[in-house]
Amino acid sequence: MLRNYFKIAFRNLLRNKVYSTINIVGLAIGVASCILIFLYVKDELSYENHFSKADRIVRVAGEVIFEGHQDAFSVTPPPLYDAVREFSGVESVTQFFQAGKQTVWYQDQSFTEDKLLFADSAFFRVFDYAFVAGNPATALSTPNAIVLTEELAQKYFGGAAQAMGQVLRFSKDSYTVTGVYRDQGHSHIAASGLLSRLTVDSQTPEDVRNNQWFNLNRYTYALLPDPQHIPDFQKQLDVLTEAHVNPWIKENRLSAHVKYIAQPLKSIHFDTRYGGDGLSPKGNISYVYIFGAVAVFLLLIACINYMNLATARSAKRAKEVGLRKVVGADRSQIIWQFIGESVLLTLIAVLLALALVQIFIPNFNTLTDKNFTSDFFMHWEFLSVVLAIVLFVGIVAGSYPAFFLSGFKPADVLKSDKHPKGGSATLRRALVVLQFSISLIMIIGTIVVFMQMHFLKNSDLGFKKEQVMVIDIPSGDSTLVQHLPLIKQKLEQHPKVLQTSNTLSIPAEGLSRTLMLMEQDGEMVEKTMDAIAVDHDFIPVLGIQMQAGRNFSPNIKTDERSGIIINEAAAKWLGWADPLGKKVITGNEEIADNSARVIGVVKDFHITSLHSEVQPLAIFLVPQSAGYLLARLAPEDQAATIQFIQEQWRTFDPEHPMEYFFMDEFFDKQYRAEEKMLTVFGYFAGLTILIACLGLFGLASFTAEQRTKEIGIRKVLGSSVSDIVLLLSKDFALLVLLAIALASPIAWYGMRQWLQDFAYRVDLSWWIFAIAGFAALAIALLTVSLQAVKAALLDPVKALRT
Amino acid sequence: MNKEELVIETQNLQKKYITDTVETTALAGVDLSIKRGEFVAIMGPSGCGKSTLLNILGMLDSPSSGVFKFLGQDISNATERQRAKLRKHNLGFVFQSFNLIDELTVEENIALPLAYLGVSKAETNKRVQEAMERMGIAHRRNHFPQQLSGGQQQRVAIARATVSNPALILADEPTGNLDSVHGREVMAMLAELNESGTTVVMVTHSPSDAEYAHRIVNLFDGQIVTENLNVKRHAAELL
Ligand SMILES: Nc1ncnc2c1ncn2[C@@H]1O[C@H](COP(=O)(O)OP(=O)(O)OP(=O)(O)O)[C@@H](O)[C@H]1O
Ligand SMILES: [Mg+2]
Repeated sequence: MLRNYFKIAFRNLLRNKVYSTINIVGLAIGVASCILIFLYVKDELSYENHFSKADRIVRVAGEVIFEGHQDAFSVTPPPLYDAVREFSGVESVTQFFQAGKQTVWYQDQSFTEDKLLFADSAFFRVFDYAFVAGNPATALSTPNAIVLTEELAQKYFGGAAQAMGQVLRFSKDSYTVTGVYRDQGHSHIAASGLLSRLTVDSQTPEDVRNNQWFNLNRYTYALLPDPQHIPDFQKQLDVLTEAHVNPWIKENRLSAHVKYIAQPLKSIHFDTRYGGDGLSPKGNISYVYIFGAVAVFLLLIACINYMNLATARSAKRAKEVGLRKVVGADRSQIIWQFIGESVLLTLIAVLLALALVQIFIPNFNTLTDKNFTSDFFMHWEFLSVVLAIVLFVGIVAGSYPAFFLSGFKPADVLKSDKHPKGGSATLRRALVVLQFSISLIMIIGTIVVFMQMHFLKNSDLGFKKEQVMVIDIPSGDSTLVQHLPLIKQKLEQHPKVLQTSNTLSIPAEGLSRTLMLMEQDGEMVEKTMDAIAVDHDFIPVLGIQMQAGRNFSPNIKTDERSGIIINEAAAKWLGWADPLGKKVITGNEEIADNSARVIGVVKDFHITSLHSEVQPLAIFLVPQSAGYLLARLAPEDQAATIQFIQEQWRTFDPEHPMEYFFMDEFFDKQYRAEEKMLTVFGYFAGLTILIACLGLFGLASFTAEQRTKEIGIRKVLGSSVSDIVLLLSKDFALLVLLAIALASPIAWYGMRQWLQDFAYRVDLSWWIFAIAGFAALAIALLTVSLQAVKAALLDPVKALRT
Repeated sequence: MNKEELVIETQNLQKKYITDTVETTALAGVDLSIKRGEFVAIMGPSGCGKSTLLNILGMLDSPSSGVFKFLGQDISNATERQRAKLRKHNLGFVFQSFNLIDELTVEENIALPLAYLGVSKAETNKRVQEAMERMGIAHRRNHFPQQLSGGQQQRVAIARATVSNPALILADEPTGNLDSVHGREVMAMLAELNESGTTVVMVTHSPSDAEYAHRIVNLFDGQIVTENLNVKRHAAELL
């Protein structure tokens, strides 16, 4: 019997090529998207899973309320380490911090490493990485020890065994390799190696370190006996802050209030609340949701195609059903037969989907920043997911036609002159409306995201980000800093280097908030605001406009200590109608020297992305600021100019390779998430509309076929081709219009939510919806009229003969 | 087995079709008994309810009211499942428009009832082979229905109706789509089956086809108006 079913199924597939192709291609696209998205979601959810103690590890994060302004940090002060070690019910505590960008020498080679951490010997007790060489218990228990990942050991020494006992030189110290471990899974701790923290800590007196409760620079983790201890641990943190930390802050005359939060390890990857979390790129749980929804939608649309076409074609299968019943089949046997058929079809679609996955994995990798390979094809977990998809889709898509078809009464369907109607046309129409609504939502989403991206990238930022080269000045090189004026002078000698500036920070980079006393109604009031330290040339190099007063001048020596420039937002925030000459005290008020005067006001410029509004900002003059060197270049011959700069740079800093980037690219990187969203929307909008149109094509060809005789008669009676095309297309056009009406409010609501993320955003004007609707209508009509024209051109004599 | 055993017995069988607002009475109280081994022809003008009656007798449709006993068992209230079971064990159907499954070959079409009966593969092959030989279509076993003439298709349909050795064969205008030569061939086969003990009930418009039957039931407006014994046939049997 089973063989009989399959035989019929196969012959049906082959006989109805258009129908089979539509279904198989649609399902294959749906399934391939599902497989890729499954990989992504599984990968995103796999963070920290390889640590056997992951469930009972917590990170301590901090919330700081500073003048009613709440900030949250993933970094904590050094003395927290000893404090947490005193807690009851804590198995281990480890604290580490980022080493930043380091140049590492081995023999005569040097590399830049930026993923090294300074950690203590408890690190491997908490995070049980697998050691390839060395002893995890002691590897970090002495100063000047370094533990490498297998990858790094390979890079420097050609293997784990060769690495042991070797010495790596850093700019300050040297480190001996005491262990090599395998970095086998995803973790938010994306370290390439660990340096023993003792090396640094032994250089600062313990009492100094232990008194830095407001110095947020270290990550603190605790290993608890089991996950149920988290609330108890949190309670002890609360006691610590109330009894010790907040009193200490008050003593030090800081008006802040601190709270520590125990954050379960596994929640870290998706938790974006805490700043300073620069260990690895954060996951975005909304992507997981969006991707998941898209996968389900695509599959749903493909299933709808199957259901619609199968029921539409049911007239053709009715006779078979009737006959099977006549010779003794009962209903359940017929149901299983049709479900079997859809499972078979799905199976073929899945095989095609696997091929699609194989082809599109590289594109998907770029889209998601992942590194998937097709190795997983033979993994049992994957195979069972694929099997589950086959069964699920086969049964979901197959059951409606199965129940519908198996209900035919043989006495009705075997009458040679009567044909049952092809299922409920209303249901089929509703499903088409659903398909097109989903497609339209995706199209509208794509248009809105595209427009917002265009807006973000082309808005006037208040400064000119184009043609500004940014050179990263290596930290800790004091001779280089001394040479900065000379370097600038040398570079500016080149005619294509228009102007240069050295600065501590640049737009689109994290800003530091500074506490200041500011004059308000004759009194000095404590205020915190964003502050940047720059040289004389920063404002002109970036093309920032002065609104009042003047820029820092190299000729006025007092600017350096007692000149400050603010932005319009700051003036407004402080209620200064005439800001020039207002008094500001920075740092410790007891040093009278720290008092400064406002010498200028710049027009507001976007130092951060357009997600947020322009915040009050204070600009200080620090001529030796050595974070970055900015160079505004002439637009022509940039390659040659860059080469010139590199050559000059090498004469001053032969040790480090010069690292540079362009300001506009750097600034636009802030919109990477949106950019990805745009790509995702774009791709999947294309796919949904494609699958929906495949279905429409099938339905249209079915209708045309069904009405062949009618069309023939109409033509004999004098209908023109265009009359008939209109006749056949009208119905479908109506469905798409209905979908537009349905999708527009949903898309409007969804996209309005999305735009809330931006302080500056485009309007959701009606014409976006009009364009999307028009596009969908045009595509649908094109699809349908293809069939309609074919039917209309058919020779009426032929049509009437059948 | 008792020669007088009733295969079919109906009392006051009624069938009404209700479509939208119109109510059509297709059968208006039919009392009919058919004995095992009988060959009965049902005749009457178009629309008088012949097919309706045959479909009810074949349990493809259910009556609106009345009693219907099949092999002595009352099945007026049987479930769809029970009727499917009775059908596959006891009934064979032959239709005017052949009704073969286009996607299956001759051989596969004939084997279908056996598949639903769960007959073993070897046994199926044997019986299908016999049926094809009996109908003279063994050389066409791998053809699809569209590749055959009408007469050949009807022979396949008869082979399929008989392959499971049913007690009763129901035929609705089996010669309706055939020319007279092929029509006679088909009738000869039905007669032969009847001779070997199968009960046959046939709807026909052709008086010459009706000649093959023992008894002719005349239907008019959903009621039996006359029942005639076919003298010729009875005479032949007495010889
Ligand atoms: N499914 C149905 N719905 C409504 N009325 C029906 C249906 N099937 C049959 N009828 C009506 O029942 C009556 C009997 O129909 P039936 O098919 O039994 O006639 P028939 O004697 O077989 O005619 P013919 O010789 O043309 O085949 C007719 O009036 C027909 O219109
Ligand atoms: Mg009839």
